[in-house]
Amino acid sequence: MTCLTSDVNNLLKGLNRKELLEIADLKNINIPNNWSKQLIMQLLSLNITLDDIPTNKTKPVKTKKISDGAPIIVIKDLVKKFDDITAVNNLNLEIGEGELFSLLGPNGAGKTTTVNILTGIIQPTKGNAIIAGFDVTKNSSDVKKLIGVCPQEAAVFSFLNARENIELFGNLHSLSKKEIKERTERFLELLDLADASGRKAGSYSGGMLRKLNLIMALINDPKIAFLDEPTVGMDARARRKTWEFIGSLKGEKKTIILTTHYIEEAEALSDRVGIIDYGKLIEVGTPQELMEKYEAKNLEQVFLNITGRRILEGI
Amino acid sequence: MKLQALGALINVELKKLIRHPVNLFMNLLFPALLTIVFMFTFSDPELGMSINSVVPGLVVYAVIFLIMTVAQSFSSERKLLKRLKTTPMTSTEFIGSQIISNMITAIVQVVIVLVLAYLLGFKPESGFEGILLALPVTAIFALSSVGLGLITATISKNPEMGVGLSFLFILPQMFLGTFMPLTSSTQEIAKFVPSHYLFDALKSIFEGNWMNTNFFFDLVIISAVSVLIVIIGIVLFEKYGNT
Repeated sequence: MTCLTSDVNNLLKGLNRKELLEIADLKNINIPNNWSKQLIMQLLSLNITLDDIPTNKTKPVKTKKISDGAPIIVIKDLVKKFDDITAVNNLNLEIGEGELFSLLGPNGAGKTTTVNILTGIIQPTKGNAIIAGFDVTKNSSDVKKLIGVCPQEAAVFSFLNARENIELFGNLHSLSKKEIKERTERFLELLDLADASGRKAGSYSGGMLRKLNLIMALINDPKIAFLDEPTVGMDARARRKTWEFIGSLKGEKKTIILTTHYIEEAEALSDRVGIIDYGKLIEVGTPQELMEKYEAKNLEQVFLNITGRRILEGI
Repeated sequence: MKLQALGALINVELKKLIRHPVNLFMNLLFPALLTIVFMFTFSDPELGMSINSVVPGLVVYAVIFLIMTVAQSFSSERKLLKRLKTTPMTSTEFIGSQIISNMITAIVQVVIVLVLAYLLGFKPESGFEGILLALPVTAIFALSSVGLGLITATISKNPEMGVGLSFLFILPQMFLGTFMPLTSSTQEIAKFVPSHYLFDALKSIFEGNWMNTNFFFDLVIISAVSVLIVIIGIVLFEKYGNT
């Protein structure tokens, strides 16, 4: 019985509010208008069985590409389990070349785990992902030559200055001295870090560390950049500056996968957004498409409608 | 293995040695301090210890404390290691940089200890040749410290735990493998302690007595045990430690 209820719960988690209301309607269950998705799920899980969920609703979200070319990232049936917790649950997604794709979701939704699998930090439990034709588990060394990763927590050597940190990553990517020097100067200027570049990173503020974190991810001029919450901890001015910088990368035909807690960041920068919760991709589309679909004024309303909880919950 | 990546990583490790206050103290200042204190305190023939037996022990002390710095460094830099894993850097380049930089550190430590000891009255019978021979022998032994440091980092959840647990490997080597007086039973246990063989080898070198089978036996044991320990350390850390 417990197992069946948990199966019902798992299937319900993959549905949006509208689909949950449809099921409630079919079963003649009255749902007050102001109920969150979470509450509706709880009530339904007590009153329905697996057979009451239409099979067409349980399929993974179909994804649309907006770029003309072939997808550069293909994620297929991706699952990652940590003991009893399913962090990524049957994720299917395609991202086109040159696209800026934002992955939104509350804390613990599975965003960072997904990025960690795609960047070769951890192995998936099931399923696979192909990046630029390379399987992330079997050809991770080929994948690593093409990507740049800006991790969620600033990971820099505190006893090195900004230039030395950036140079190290340039050398690990086998760039020439000239390339390292030119790109370092350009990025330091663009992100207002040039004046502090000779100081040890250990003396930097949180915002400065974030900027350095970002430059280190982009020094190899990656074809695909994974930016995991790149602007967390930045003040409003620095955040705007960084958005401009990330926006400028779109012009260089880079594919960018951005995870963020700032919905306005996703709305301003993204070609498409994917909303993920409980490890499942719940919705995907352009910000405009999603706002129209959910009759929302902005992406935040869409997000609240879908997940029934605030994106900043738990921070 | 790309030399550019290896060189860059070694460069970072050596900068860490100089710029990180804990590393600077533990790896360079501590051996110097230890040499001065021990040379004044223990090199008294009435205590049964001559300068010639204290100095090899001091070299051993300096190198076994590398276990602590390796353990501390690996447990505190997990975020960075994770990030480095997303670059084309290979495990061979990374571990290679750790081994080479720690071997360089061990050589610098030997030089510090010997120069200070010389200034305080140590006159090795082997002369300059012996000092030159002590450098590579100690550098090989440093491999075992890197390995034990990696094993410690694997089982440590944080840097503090790494420092604490490293003493599980440091203390037996300090007390059983150097100039501390041993009973007949502890002498038997000491045969299983790697530093015992380095101490013995360095003693032979400084006494100008290295052209014999005892020295070569020590050298074979040091090399074999050090390589074995570092391999175990790498395998364990790769499998369980880097999460």
